[in-house]
Order: sequence, then C-alpha cells, then structure tokens
Amino acid sequence: MFNRSQHQTPASPATRSAPLGTSSAVRSISQMAMFAALVAVLGQLPAIPLAGGVPITLQTLGVMLAGAVLGPWRGAGAIALLHLLVVAGLPLLSQGSGGLGAFAGPSAGFALGWIPGAFVVGLITQSSWPLRLWRTITGTLLGGILVVYACGLPVMAFQLGLSLEQALLLNLAFLPGDAIKTAIAVTLTHSLARAYPAPFTHARERRRPASR
Amino acid sequence: MIPLYRAGRSALHRMPVGAKFLFIFLAALSASIFRENPWVLLVIWASVLAGYVLSGLGPGALLAQLWRLKWLVLVLTLPGLIFLSPAETAFNLTRVLAVVLLAALFTLSTATSDILSGCERLLRPLDPQLARFGLSSERISLGLSLTIRSVPVILSFYSEIREAQRARGMRPTPRATVMPLLVMSLRHAEETAEALAARGVR
Repeated sequence: MFNRSQHQTPASPATRSAPLGTSSAVRSISQMAMFAALVAVLGQLPAIPLAGGVPITLQTLGVMLAGAVLGPWRGAGAIALLHLLVVAGLPLLSQGSGGLGAFAGPSAGFALGWIPGAFVVGLITQSSWPLRLWRTITGTLLGGILVVYACGLPVMAFQLGLSLEQALLLNLAFLPGDAIKTAIAVTLTHSLARAYPAPFTHARERRRPASR
Repeated sequence: MIPLYRAGRSALHRMPVGAKFLFIFLAALSASIFRENPWVLLVIWASVLAGYVLSGLGPGALLAQLWRLKWLVLVLTLPGLIFLSPAETAFNLTRVLAVVLLAALFTLSTATSDILSGCERLLRPLDPQLARFGLSSERISLGLSLTIRSVPVILSFYSEIREAQRARGMRPTPRATVMPLLVMSLRHAEETAEALAARGVR
C-alpha cells in the first residue's frame, strides 16, 4: 500500500490546495485531527526499553512530526486537540493514561509544553521550501526538546519541591531517548517531504508569496 | 477507545461540569499555594475521600486509582528521598496524590460528551476571536470528533503495517513503522477532507 501511495501523490492534492480556498479549512482540520490521533496511537505502541532500562515511547516523536510536517499553527493545533480530548477523559496519552489527572501530576508541564514545542518545530523547520536539513535539525532540537523541557522542568520542580537543577538531573535519563527521537523525526520529515509534499503547505507558501 | 468515565447517577455525576471543574481547580490551586499547611492538606484529602464515597464509586475505585498511580508514587518518592528530607517528601507525596485523585474523580464522574459540549459552549462566544485563526467553535468540535474517529482507523493502519512487516520478516524499527503510518494517515486525512467538502462542510 505504501508504494501505491507514493506514485499517486505528487500530482493531486499539492497542486489543488490553493484554488479551493474555503475547503482548505476543512483540510486543515482533518489533518490536525489525523495527527492528534496519530500522536495518541504512537503513545500506545509498545515502549522501547533503552539502555539503562529507561523506556521511551514514540509519543514525543509524534509531537515533533506534527510540527515539522504540518507547520507551526496546524502542528500546535493538533496537539491542542489531543489535549482537549485527554482533559475530556479519553486515555490518549502514553500507555493509556489520560483524564484531567494527567495534567495534575509532576509531568503536566511536559505535556503542555508539546503545544509551544510543536509550534517552534514547525516555525523553524518550515521557514523555507525545499526543507533544509540544518533547519529541521535545529527546529526539532529547539522545539521538540528545549521548549518542552523549559515548560516541563519548572512544573516538575515545583510539584516535587526541588530546584531546577535537581529536576534537570532527574530527567537526564530521558535525554538519550529524546536525541534518538529527534534523529528519527528529522529523517522521517525529509523522506516525507520528498515522497508526499502535500501537507507541507506552510513551507511551500513561504517560497513564493508574491505569485499568489 | 473506552473513555475513563464511569456511568452513575450520584450527586457528583449530576453536578454541572463547570462547577465541578472549578472546584477541583481551586482545590489544586490552594494545595499548591499552601504547600506546607497540614490543615489544607487534611481538608483536601477529606474532600477526596468524601468525593469517592459521594460519587457512588466507592473505596474500590479509589484503590484502583491508587494502583494506576503506582509509578507516580515512585516518581514522587525516590527523588525526594535523594534530595529532600523525609518530611518534605511526605508532604509532596500526599499533596500531589490528593490533587491527582481529585482530578481523576472529575474524569470518572463526568461523561466525555458532557465535557466536550461544555467546551463548545465555552468557545462559542469566542467565535469572532477564533475567526482570525480561521477557526470557529464548530470547526473545533468537528476536529475533536474527527480525532476520536481517527484513532481506531490509525490503529488498523498500524496492524496492517505490522502484518506486512511480519510477512517479510522485517524488524519493526520506529522508522520502518512510522513512515508508512504517516503517509497512510495523511492520505486518509486528505480523503476525509474531500468527503467533508463534498457534503458541504466548510
């Protein structure tokens, strides 16, 4: 099924998205919903135990991809949709956790940081078309790791009564996993940009704003 | 996808969503402000216990929640024992657990559909502001229901991919799994958008 989709894509949706002005809102909503669901599903897949026994889930990989593929606004919107459903009581966070309780614990800041995180990933990654590798790497590192930690660590430090340094120390074990996910997200984004460029509208509009 | 909500007819179940949310929010806020005040903690724990009794869920549900939170207890205890005194650790543990249990009580006693429709009501007056981002409360509701519908679709994509990998004896590396998942999901999003546009949804 994968090969077939590669052959059909380049012609159809990419060239059509501009003239259908009104339906592009529906398309954006549909893409955001699909990515919100994708991030939820990635959190349910079996966690990969990393050296040292720290399990990593692919949920944050989904967050990085949401920003990198859909761009800042739709990427952040996808995560916001996911969080709304989690607050409404659906078990969509990693390993079936969810509900309002997911935003009351010490790791609440990390989950909330996904929204600005995806935004920053998208803003930097999609600032030009074709995508540049160094932009994707900096965007994913800054948005997917730095912004998420900048939101997550203060909340964790406050909840546990620790200093920021101590909270950072506790989370060092997750950094190798985040680095691996960054690498995967960058390679996936660039393969996808070649195989299926249709969703990268933010970057593609950046390239020729005058011609429209 | 089964919501965490547990149906019931108790006073807590019938309480308006907004009031319930506000109460839990204020309880969490006061627990965070009066961090080291044992009386505030006592009041919050009393309301947690009262809440679980009033909701008709009973002590069984409370124990089940505590069991779900076993990793959280570990996360709250271990760093405290390394960096803090035992008394401070105990305070943090009881405070955060109480707040999380209260939040879980909100989730257990409020139907997902009620929260979502409450959210839409809350957003409706903001429509003029949302329009600047090309959004509206209606479009957000559409996105929420599309997301709920898409989760099983993507799960079925995933099992398709795993089957194909197994047939070829491939290892399910993240890259080999997520790439086809991305393409299939995005194509499905495109088809959904076209179907919606064809039905006159804008």
